[in-house]
Amino acid sequence: MIEVANDNILDLAPVWLSLKLSAVTVVILLIVGLPMAWWLAFTRSRLKVTIEAVTALPLVLPPTVLGFYLLVFMGPNGPAGQLWHVLAGHSLAFSFTGLVIASCLYSLPFVVQPLQAAFESLDRKAVEAAWTLGASMVRTFVTIVLPQIRRGLLIAIVLGFAHTMGEFGVVLMVGGNIPGETQVVSIAIYEQVEMLNYQSAEKLSAGLLVFSFLILLLVYSINRQWGRGLKA
Amino acid sequence: MSRIRVDVRLKRDGFVLDCDLDIPEQGVTAILGPSGSGKTTLLRVIAGLETPDQGSITVGDKVWVNTGNRKFLSSQKRKVGMVFQDYALFEHLTVAQNIGYGLPRRQRGQLVDKWINRLHLESLEGRYPHELSGGQKQRVALARALATEPDILLLDEPFSAVDVSLREKLRRQLQEIVKTLEQPVLIVTHDLEEVHHLADRIGVMVDGRLSRIGQSNNVFDDPGNYEVAKILGWRNFLPVKSITSTAVTGAWGELSLEQAIPVDTDWLSIRPYHIRLTTEEPGGLCTEVVHVRELGAVREMECRLRDGTRLVMQSSWHEPLPAPGSQVWLKLPLQHIQVLCDSPLVQIRQSGNTTARLADRSVDQFTRGKRVVPMEKQS
Repeated sequence: MIEVANDNILDLAPVWLSLKLSAVTVVILLIVGLPMAWWLAFTRSRLKVTIEAVTALPLVLPPTVLGFYLLVFMGPNGPAGQLWHVLAGHSLAFSFTGLVIASCLYSLPFVVQPLQAAFESLDRKAVEAAWTLGASMVRTFVTIVLPQIRRGLLIAIVLGFAHTMGEFGVVLMVGGNIPGETQVVSIAIYEQVEMLNYQSAEKLSAGLLVFSFLILLLVYSINRQWGRGLKA
Repeated sequence: MSRIRVDVRLKRDGFVLDCDLDIPEQGVTAILGPSGSGKTTLLRVIAGLETPDQGSITVGDKVWVNTGNRKFLSSQKRKVGMVFQDYALFEHLTVAQNIGYGLPRRQRGQLVDKWINRLHLESLEGRYPHELSGGQKQRVALARALATEPDILLLDEPFSAVDVSLREKLRRQLQEIVKTLEQPVLIVTHDLEEVHHLADRIGVMVDGRLSRIGQSNNVFDDPGNYEVAKILGWRNFLPVKSITSTAVTGAWGELSLEQAIPVDTDWLSIRPYHIRLTTEEPGGLCTEVVHVRELGAVREMECRLRDGTRLVMQSSWHEPLPAPGSQVWLKLPLQHIQVLCDSPLVQIRQSGNTTARLADRSVDQFTRGKRVVPMEKQS
């Protein structure tokens, strides 16, 4: 708790919750997104177009629509909600876990699409050269593929993180507004505005704005540095 | 080093590779063929980057592939050194790191030094691929492939990524390197010059099949079939209509024979420098001069026969040649005429009567026994 004015106390818990949610979401999305993007980049399967369309859905759907279906799916009467209740003993909706699942679905295209583009522009001959030199799949991925896709990977991480930090509609539908559990920073700002506590809302908004700007500045600097390295 | 036996079949998107190839323990074997004939696919099958539908690959007594018992050794486990068409160097690694990539950590430093010295890359070991010239890149790719001491070295179109002006120099360098290697080398290319300079043996690939394979000189001088001859740079082709014991005829005229030629001959061919001008009608073919071109030390004359077939003749620059439009007689010395047959794999049509005969031909025209029977051809 930071005292910002005599009668105004700024609660930073939503900020930490947002950071935690974004970090967990990005890690999960990388684990799921890397193989998924690889498959989408190289498959000749007829299912490719369908999977691509499903992955891109969160880009065009109103967040409340996605949030509504997730709430139905994860709510006490939904299949995932009931199963989770049996396994964990509490509800999936209005919990941090539910929030993570919703965020993963909502931010999926922001991670998968840059990775897919990076894999599609991969020098496959270099990968095959590594194989003919005896390198295992894992060694080839770490030493040949990762250095080639690092820009796409960085963009995927930043977009996934930033998008999760800024999400509102989906988290409101699925997570509600439980301080310390599901009250992320965007919802905290909304609540402060509702309570006409503009000063707190302004502090949080400005913090988020500066944070987002600094992150993007860092990314573009690294990107430029890597670009120079390739051209040199 | 071991003898390599490749006998594979593969079907992809309507393309069929059907290849039976024996690669000796040492020396350079070149596979020549037009784009899309399946040369690179064959190389990729040997490297383990494509899986054949049927067949086997054995290296000495080691089995790399045997579809009969579902054995398929992955690329990582085969000992192949492959130099890709555009070299496929690792752009983020230095020359030394590229060469050492496939080597065990303990021996890496020592072996990298050895190959850097052997391929004269001493001053370049700390550079990145984008700081190298085309020739230097090729040497790095060669060193990287050879450092792992592979059972076979595979080269995919080694000069296609290099400027024409540099090719001659690089060809000499590559020739010096590959001639000293202990392992067999397999090159695929569509460049006749490369084959002339580098190969001990040549295979000619047409539509996914090896139509002709043998010692370099034998294959160049006796291509056997029309499609192979075209790929090997033969230029003059006379379609044959009928053969008797004394003469061979076509719509272009008649040539007297001193000895019988195979009854299933479809084409006669002759090198441009073997054709001579003659003033006498007997034994000559009547033609009209279409073009005369100066080609440095030689002159080239293109003539049209009565059915429109073109013949190209070459003579030295100081010999006078008739002007375009003149009627001349050309002599085709019989000892220099090659007899060729059609390939059933390629639809080359000149006239209706040969179309029917195509269907009856065996798959490999060259391996069939040549019947030397002086009789009228059956249409």
